[in-house]
Amino acid sequence: MEPLSTAQIIWSMFIQFMPVWVALIITFAVSITFKRKLGLYGKLFDSPVGMVGLFLVLFWVFTAFLADMIATFHPIEDVISSMRRKAPGTAIPNPDDFGYSYFLLGGDILGRDVFSRMVMGSREVLKIAPAATLFAFMAGIILGLPAGYFAGKLDTILSFIANLVLSFPVILLFFLLVTPEIVNSGIPRYMAGLLFLFPIIFLVILLNSRYYTQPPLRNMLVGTVVVLGGWVYLGLAWDADPLGMITMQGNQLIVFISVVFVNSPTVFRIVRGMVLDIQTRDYVAAAQTRGEGPWYIMLWEILPNARGPLLVDFCLRIGYTTILLGTLGFFGLGVSPESSDWGSTINAGKGQISFAAHIAVPPAIALMTLVLGLNLLADGLREESLKD
Amino acid sequence: MTLKTQKVHSAAEMFAKEHLEGKMDRREFMTRVSALGVATATAYSLIGANPAEAAGHSVKPSMGGTLRIQQEVRALKDPRAFDWSQMANITRGICEYLIEYQRDGSFKGILLESWEANEDATQYTLNVRQGVKFNNGDDLTAEHVAANFVAWADKNVEGNSMASRVAALVDEETGMAREGAIEVVDDYTVRLNLTAPDITIVPGIADYPSAVQHKDMIGQDIAEHGIGTGAYKIESYDVGVKAVLVKNEDHDYWGETYLDRVEFIDLGTDPAAWVAGAEADEFDMVYESVGDFVSIFDSIGWNKSEVVTAATVVIRPNQKAEVDGMMPYADKRVRQAIMLAVDNNVPLELGIAGQGIVAENHHVAPVHPEYAELPPLQRDVEKARALMEEAGMMDFEHEIISIDDDYRRNTTDAVAAQLRDAGFKVKRTVIPGATFWNDWTKYPFSSTNWNHRELGVQILALAYKSGEAWNEAGFENAEFDALLAEAVAIADADARREVMAKLQAIMQDEGVTIQPYWRSLFRHYKDGIVNAEMHPKFEINVHNLGFA
Amino acid sequence: MGLFILKRLGLMLLTMLCLTFIVFWLTNLDAKLETLAKTQGSARMTDTEVQQWIANNGYDGSMIGRYGQWLGIVPGWTKEVRGEERGRCLEQGMTFADAPTYCGILQGDFGYSTVLRDDVSTIIKTRLTLTGKLMFWVMIVMVPMALIVGVLAGMREGSRTDRSLSVFSIVTTATPEYVSGVLFIFAVSAFGIKWLKGSAASAMDGLTFANFTLPVLTMALYGMGYIARMTRASMTEVMTAQYIRTARLKGVSFGNIVMKHALRNALIAPFTVIMLQFPWLLTGVVIVETLFNYKGFGWTLVQGASNNDIELLLSCSIVAVLVVLVTQLISDIGYVFLNPRIRVS
Repeated sequence: MEPLSTAQIIWSMFIQFMPVWVALIITFAVSITFKRKLGLYGKLFDSPVGMVGLFLVLFWVFTAFLADMIATFHPIEDVISSMRRKAPGTAIPNPDDFGYSYFLLGGDILGRDVFSRMVMGSREVLKIAPAATLFAFMAGIILGLPAGYFAGKLDTILSFIANLVLSFPVILLFFLLVTPEIVNSGIPRYMAGLLFLFPIIFLVILLNSRYYTQPPLRNMLVGTVVVLGGWVYLGLAWDADPLGMITMQGNQLIVFISVVFVNSPTVFRIVRGMVLDIQTRDYVAAAQTRGEGPWYIMLWEILPNARGPLLVDFCLRIGYTTILLGTLGFFGLGVSPESSDWGSTINAGKGQISFAAHIAVPPAIALMTLVLGLNLLADGLREESLKD
Repeated sequence: MTLKTQKVHSAAEMFAKEHLEGKMDRREFMTRVSALGVATATAYSLIGANPAEAAGHSVKPSMGGTLRIQQEVRALKDPRAFDWSQMANITRGICEYLIEYQRDGSFKGILLESWEANEDATQYTLNVRQGVKFNNGDDLTAEHVAANFVAWADKNVEGNSMASRVAALVDEETGMAREGAIEVVDDYTVRLNLTAPDITIVPGIADYPSAVQHKDMIGQDIAEHGIGTGAYKIESYDVGVKAVLVKNEDHDYWGETYLDRVEFIDLGTDPAAWVAGAEADEFDMVYESVGDFVSIFDSIGWNKSEVVTAATVVIRPNQKAEVDGMMPYADKRVRQAIMLAVDNNVPLELGIAGQGIVAENHHVAPVHPEYAELPPLQRDVEKARALMEEAGMMDFEHEIISIDDDYRRNTTDAVAAQLRDAGFKVKRTVIPGATFWNDWTKYPFSSTNWNHRELGVQILALAYKSGEAWNEAGFENAEFDALLAEAVAIADADARREVMAKLQAIMQDEGVTIQPYWRSLFRHYKDGIVNAEMHPKFEINVHNLGFA
Repeated sequence: MGLFILKRLGLMLLTMLCLTFIVFWLTNLDAKLETLAKTQGSARMTDTEVQQWIANNGYDGSMIGRYGQWLGIVPGWTKEVRGEERGRCLEQGMTFADAPTYCGILQGDFGYSTVLRDDVSTIIKTRLTLTGKLMFWVMIVMVPMALIVGVLAGMREGSRTDRSLSVFSIVTTATPEYVSGVLFIFAVSAFGIKWLKGSAASAMDGLTFANFTLPVLTMALYGMGYIARMTRASMTEVMTAQYIRTARLKGVSFGNIVMKHALRNALIAPFTVIMLQFPWLLTGVVIVETLFNYKGFGWTLVQGASNNDIELLLSCSIVAVLVVLVTQLISDIGYVFLNPRIRVS
């Protein structure tokens, strides 16, 4: 069969992304219609920058969710040796064995479809980056709140530890931590055991401080969190899920942990600084005179008022984490070799760049657009939240 | 020359006959007869050929010039413990070798004038070249050579890989050279008395860890003492960055040499960086051009030199490895299923871009003199699945480990893809270069690269004999061991081939390893550089290099 | 002020002590020592050979003890291996008698690099100089570019210049070095550009425009966006300040307002940001040096880490941490000097 022309390639890709377009149109139509009722999210649609950012981010989020419908080949298993490093738009020799007859963006070094790998890569990236950022935020918040609120010795010690981690060059930390020897030594398990506790503690304190006046409801909520959280915790951190459903491989775990580890001190510092600022407000003093507990004040009075800047930082930090994961992939640290995540595919394609640029460029563009979208989204959020 | 009056080894005459009858190609012939101590010229005369016809030989360069070679600059150490040919390529300018393995498969005396083996290959007589001086003024004598042999035979030195190459000189109890094994006959003659017939000792002392040291400097780092017979000295040595050799003006070198200055420039291990460096005119010659980059170097107009070798990659299950409390690969059916599921042409295509020839899972190459041709292998997915099902291992997840680099990783990925295609569950793991070798013999299922060896039996003895340190497949087979012991003692390659056929068949039948291809090695250099052709063992002899 | 700096210095020492200990611990795990033995001895050593190597080279004592030796508060190890006297403080050919008892960083001895085979202090000095050159040029390119972009964008908030420059700086922050560097190298070889080189190995012997432009540009671009955005934010804030409005009402020309009144105040925030950017540049240095084969500090760090070169890594981390802490200190002090409203008590 004839190879596709550039216009045909673009058109075919457009068609493949159809589910994403549909989802985007629905989301935007619904959001714009009801934007006045949607709070800060709705206001985003007043800012062109925010809208472009949201568009790019949602594009990749929907792609990740709908990847199975979009990808034309299996990203790892469909190896066609004659398609090795073939140019974009090349027809495969045996279309009857597969559901699609072209490699839209060409073949990679092992004869896999670059397009499908890029699409499925979004899933790999969006599986880790937001989750790791979220964990970092929970750890940073749970430590930053009391440090700022109680100050004193606790603050001194926590701040020292945070500064310690922050003055550690990220890249050196990765080189030391993300190695097979460390994975085998079990250190990541212990670190995970500690870091993964924070989300559970966070939720338990959050619910307890709010509902401790209603013991039955409190017990039910806290109980659910402890059981579900504990289950996930055992599976993820200790690989000891009694039902055997949740596990995380050693090298994935260490990547996850390292990223959480380097991000949480920054969040800690931001939260601490904001607590110091908000603490002096009247509503905090009012809550104190009402006799509310410190954790209630921290989590239900101070935290909601810090949400704007935290949300902005959250968006930026997901972008930063994505870049960080790419850096790990670039140095070949801790990645599973066949993984289609963008960092690893850029790394795998960089050697071929001078004669087969189509291997490294698509994931590079994907990574750039996602990070760009997150940055623009953060900008839009900042602009709109300042207007309050 | 003393050689003319010398009696030619009877086996050599027999080999010559075989060659002339067309039973053996010239390269095999050269390897075999020169290992027996027959000089190259004599060998050629045995078959009525003109040595000048031999490829890659003697274009005489002009004097002078600076040559820049792209090659890793690794930390030097006691030469006996060298584990990279790159180290020896630099030190070869200072410390030379007794014998050198040539591109055409023959052995050439460097510090030896000549050598001969007795009929059953249990005694070797080495005639040391006269008139060779060390650069501190001492004469090279039999005493120095003998001292080197004693040092090579010392098993107690950490990382001394020469000990296994001269195993026939070693006393098993003390781990040192056996009493009477190394005999100084006169000032320029050394005699080796072996415990058992050994045809591998000549290839062994031509290998890169066997640099000849001054007897007082044995065990020390050449970069520190700088004493040797070669024409060069080290001007600077920055590990990982650059090493510079310059002609040693104070030293009266015994032979001829051309270049004034040789720079080794380290651009890391990423071939893309080498191309960038070549385009930026940072060097004149690469150590090796690999994979896709061969055609890139072609396209920038450099000269290509190719050599077909017995260098390879094995992707082997370890029969003794335990995974989750069981030994998955102790079952012959599982191993056979794995072998049957892989078409060796695919790793050849995907792993090294088809630059080589397909191999047959028995680790004996057509370039080896004793290679026996067996019926070609067939991929049979049906049978593979049937066997795996019979073994009850369809649900088992195979974790295949490889080092993190270009061709080894891609080859392993290609094997993994085929196993998946056959319906087996496969997980791939990649380990960085520095850590990979920590457990390389113990991984349950992993890939390893093996360099070219001159004889097929060398490889089998190193890697597949029961209990050997490098037996990474965990292969133990009494019949195989017995046949191998038999084969090593047969000097005549034809007689050996019969035994080899059985050995190769056992390797295949037992499903010891996937060994998909034999690599061709490539090297590129700029126009006008001579004697820089690729060597099957990556050797570069700076004494011969030069500009036309 | 003096007390403030003294306190900070004390904290810095404590931080460094903690961090070096963590690095020491991570590099001295049993498995890491095995890696070291295999890279130093021979890649294919057996387990007993590895144990022998570890013992013979003084890696077998307690870890705390060895850390003390490195600091120079515990006597260096000594050992007799097959008649040869070996020890931490022994140079080639020395005997126990003429070697010093202590040799750690307190004695000014930073140790010996096992992978690069040289004194760590020499290596750090040469490699840091090379990286210094790179950083110098990156700063020369990045800082003025970022400030100009930021000031131009922030001068008139919401204008077309502002929008396009802001998007430009966001795009650069979204393009990590490993993406832009790879694209640059691709462009150079694809378009056959001869006046730029995709490899900077020759820059170690002599800098030229051709061999140094790409690495500098790669690093400068990624760092630039962030500073530019900070400058813009600070500039827009200053431009809406009361005294600027007053000046405008008085009829001072726009150019004069920007140059004479706004700029000084607008540059306080970017100054601290530029200082705090230094530590972030380290990751960039490692990527760019790897990508362009420029063998500076970043390359040394990678070599040390991938070969588990303990003493080299320790010194590398000291340098890296020092950079972080010193720039923090400078940024704090500088902030005080630039901003008359803040005083350190």
